[in-house]
Amino acid sequence: MRTNNSNLLEMDAGSKPGIVVRRRWQQSTLTFLMVFGPGLIVMEADNDAGAVSTYVQAGGQYGLHLLWILLLLLPITYFVQEMVARLGIATGKGHAAMIYERFGKWWGRFSLFDLLAVNFLTLITEFAAISLALSAMGVSPSISVPLSAGGLILMVITGSYLRWERTVIVLCLLDLAWFVLAGLVHPSWGIVARNGFVPHFPPGRISSDLIFLIIAIVGTTIAPWQLFFQQSCVAEKRLRFADLKWARLDTLIGATFTVLVAGAMMIVGNYGREHGIVFEDPAQMARAMAPFAGHFMRNAILLMMVNAAVLGTTAISLASAWAYGEVRGWPHSLHKKLWEAPGFYAVYIGCVGTAAAIVLIPRMPLQLVIISVQVFAGLILPSAIIFLQLLLNDHALLGDRWVNRPWNNWINWSIIVVLFALSLLLAAQVMLPRLFN
Amino acid sequence: MQNSYSPESFRVVHPLQDKPESKCESEGLGPIEMTAGARISLRVLRCYLLLMSGMLLYHVLDLAAALHRLR
Repeated sequence: MRTNNSNLLEMDAGSKPGIVVRRRWQQSTLTFLMVFGPGLIVMEADNDAGAVSTYVQAGGQYGLHLLWILLLLLPITYFVQEMVARLGIATGKGHAAMIYERFGKWWGRFSLFDLLAVNFLTLITEFAAISLALSAMGVSPSISVPLSAGGLILMVITGSYLRWERTVIVLCLLDLAWFVLAGLVHPSWGIVARNGFVPHFPPGRISSDLIFLIIAIVGTTIAPWQLFFQQSCVAEKRLRFADLKWARLDTLIGATFTVLVAGAMMIVGNYGREHGIVFEDPAQMARAMAPFAGHFMRNAILLMMVNAAVLGTTAISLASAWAYGEVRGWPHSLHKKLWEAPGFYAVYIGCVGTAAAIVLIPRMPLQLVIISVQVFAGLILPSAIIFLQLLLNDHALLGDRWVNRPWNNWINWSIIVVLFALSLLLAAQVMLPRLFN
Repeated sequence: MQNSYSPESFRVVHPLQDKPESKCESEGLGPIEMTAGARISLRVLRCYLLLMSGMLLYHVLDLAAALHRLR
């Protein structure tokens, strides 16, 4: 059914679903908006509490000298996640299920166990950040942590993927506040541009601390759960072959936005450094900034820390629940009601609830958790990315249309080699610290 | 159905409301074909995981102070 004098026509009341439009650009825009979501969410959720801490710390220790690394990471994250989106669209299945089916039970179980372990440990750090940030605002952890866990559970049990997606997109867009904060500290934009585009190291000796901070930035920007999350999310949204170009654009926008937000975090960290603040976490920095930057800045940083942790928690828990559900053959979809997919929701609720409960344990050894995250991530990232690359070269599964082109393979193998080396170095630094002293 | 075209209008359908597409099917394919590239990649991955496990074991023993006792 079409109206006479409108370019954008309403929903057809007849049997055919969809919206009728008159112009091709309207069709493209609308299709893009319908496909938009998984790419932005997977990228922005990666700017989780750990990432805020790493980027702010990078700015706090080395000023704006490491901004260029973010620009370098933009194409890397895009290429990796583009492969994930392509595989998800081509197969309509999640990454864990594909590893199980094509590489056998041993590799399947190894990947699943490792993913669940690293995700769970990361969730503990997310809740620790929520507790830390809201404590700095005067809210007791015994209130803030259960309340956030409850909210995170409510977000997914509505039985609607689209409701969850829209809520999370709004949370992602809240990260625009980092640009406001970066603007409020009045950096020299010329220096920001120079540090962003010209690769260089901070003045002075290149220390092992600097090298490991750079590795941490890389590790923060490319996380193992992202591979599993986006493929499952694309399958959940039932993206079609024709949607691939829009899924690619979604991924590119997500990657660009994430890198820009990360840059804004470094600028805020640099502001703390310029005022002689020495800090170990963003909450400490926010509190120390209040006397000269004002309470708005302090509260905004603390709230953005909470937002980052909430985003990370929902995406990471869903990555676990989807992966486990796929492998067990359970119904695993946000389209289903709680009682229609009990196992899937139990994994999500179990992960969120247990991680929140652990954070409330007095004198919880958070440092041990952080070290374990790095070790497990060192195991799972190279494995997951190797499987991804091999699956994208699987002609029997994907046919000639969806497999990697030779140029894809060159780029991806180069990324894999670099990630292997960095993961190994990071794990070695954690487990054999004496080697680097 | 996807996004259909007629000379005067375009119909845009949300992926969740569209008819399901037949995807690349993995059922009945069995394990992935072990090309030389796949074999080498998995071998490198195994070596990497062994190395990581060795480092982890060393770290755990070190934390438990077992290495000091051996020395």
